[in-house]
Amino acid sequence: MPGVSNTLDLARSQAAGMLDQMCQRGPGSWVRLAAMRMIGPVESPRGFGLQDHLCWVHGDLRDYRPRLTEFFSEGLERGLQVAYLGAGNIEELREHLDRFIDVGPLLTREALRIISFDEIYRTGEPVVPAEVIKKYAAATQEALTDGYRGLRISADVTDLVRAPEQQDAFARLEFLLERYSSRNPLSALCEYRLELGDAVTQFACMHAAVPAGLTPFQVFACDDGAVGLLGEFDAAGQAAFKRALQSIQPAPDESELIFDMSAVRFMDHRALLALDSYAQKCQVPVLLRSMPPVVRRVARMLGLEHLGIVRTGGL
Amino acid sequence: MRTGAARGQTGHFHEAGFYGSDIEFRALIVPFAEEGIAAGEPVIIGYDNRKNALVHSWLTDPSAVTFLADKSLYATPSRAIATYRRLFEFHAAKGARQIRITGELPHLGNGGSFDGWDRYEAAVNTVWDDFPVWGLCLYDTASAPAAVLDFAERTHPRIVSPSGVHRANERFQDAAVFEGLTFAPDPLEQTMPMIELVDRSAAEARRALAQIGRGRVADTILEDLLLGVTEAVTNALLHGRAPVTARFWATPDRIVITVHDQGGGPADPLAGLVPTPSSKAHQGLGLWLIHQLDIDVALKHADDGFTVRLRAGPTIG
Repeated sequence: MPGVSNTLDLARSQAAGMLDQMCQRGPGSWVRLAAMRMIGPVESPRGFGLQDHLCWVHGDLRDYRPRLTEFFSEGLERGLQVAYLGAGNIEELREHLDRFIDVGPLLTREALRIISFDEIYRTGEPVVPAEVIKKYAAATQEALTDGYRGLRISADVTDLVRAPEQQDAFARLEFLLERYSSRNPLSALCEYRLELGDAVTQFACMHAAVPAGLTPFQVFACDDGAVGLLGEFDAAGQAAFKRALQSIQPAPDESELIFDMSAVRFMDHRALLALDSYAQKCQVPVLLRSMPPVVRRVARMLGLEHLGIVRTGGL
Repeated sequence: MRTGAARGQTGHFHEAGFYGSDIEFRALIVPFAEEGIAAGEPVIIGYDNRKNALVHSWLTDPSAVTFLADKSLYATPSRAIATYRRLFEFHAAKGARQIRITGELPHLGNGGSFDGWDRYEAAVNTVWDDFPVWGLCLYDTASAPAAVLDFAERTHPRIVSPSGVHRANERFQDAAVFEGLTFAPDPLEQTMPMIELVDRSAAEARRALAQIGRGRVADTILEDLLLGVTEAVTNALLHGRAPVTARFWATPDRIVITVHDQGGGPADPLAGLVPTPSSKAHQGLGLWLIHQLDIDVALKHADDGFTVRLRAGPTIG
């Protein structure tokens, strides 16, 4: 199929060009970060790159299908291997996917993998986030070895988070995925079903990109290791933010944890105090960076005891 | 050992004095300051520039006292409380056995507004009681409105006269029972609001404010209003009784916001004036924070419910 491979080559060269352009911007991480990853509320599931981590919700599977088709098609155009994950055996999943999108020709080129949840997760039990990430990292490496620009995955993970005791572990996994994809060519579309109710926010807020209106705030990974906070943090989202903080661990190789606040539109004293008590319990020093003036003002009045402030303003 | 009229007392010795002339003012303030200087006690004097200069010229050793000429000190009641508290902590840590402080609050008669300072005078009886403070509040009977003078009499447990007589004040009302002065509605409140939100989130109130507020006041003031309206709406939604109504008015250089609910408001008459020392998670902290901002914050209890009013821009009335 010469036509397809030409398209692929074109997509690859475009992506490479973009990457060069970004690197020329130097170590100013925010600029590079903003160019490479989609961060913040988004209106459509289109236009995602090699390292995007996207969450979406659906009430009905039929709503997921067009998104998946689009996400995978764009991935293939960009020279990525794509992988669909789900519960059950491979044959069932393939049949299932057949009804979604036209997978035949893609599968023959091995650009589309089908992976059973059983391979990655311990279904029915809380996941072990670090183990799962190792598996995704290995799959991403395989894709690179096979000549792809990276790996793109998607799944409806609702069944993995139904039980309350599964949810905290899965939120930690979402944060690790967010961090991994911020540094490696793994892009993901994580789908949740609306029937989960308010619990969806807990997972949605751990993605760099979410549909507008789903969560008032987001936690995302900056590519320099900092944890970015985005959006509005007030009493309405306080319980969700406290839960989100529990899912955030410093990277094993980091001697401090920095929260980047440059995308915070509003933060009240409750959220700042939650960060302060997070800092008290964290095993490494916790610092705030790029606080907007309105947040700095509140922080000064509160006299936070455990949080440090990055004063160099390197961004 | 505390010296002077406060000898043998503990905590805040809160005294009012009333003068009708510079001569009476001198008769009240000079013994207060000289006695403190002689005893080696810190003496802090905070009046307008003219009165500060007068006191400076009357004292034998003015370099021994601290003059506070910073107008922003009295910008808001709770900020004055916080600033003085830090000052007291500083002197107490240095071993001061008594700290003497005297000043005059803003009211219409001296070019300011007394709105909110009634609660301040009542609050400092309690909130400075941790320190050996002798606070002497002087009121000019020639310029202060009658309601302010009446109020001063009800919030000071002690009174000193220009003739030098210190006495207990039989008109004093404890903070828990005192009735504050009613403040006049802002003229804008009589007009149709630009935006009215009923039972909407704090986020929506912020968006409404951002929509009407930009360019009318400085950005930092607008941010203070964002914090203020967030806290007012949040408190009303969490602790008040629905419906919660937020109204926004704006002129080219002023913004007025009221947040009303049908509940009774905070039971503590001093709510917002003091931080909650033991637990920062306490719900009163937000109210205290917005009282620290560079905006006018007023709380109003009425038969139809509780209102928080926030104002920015030139004060009217």
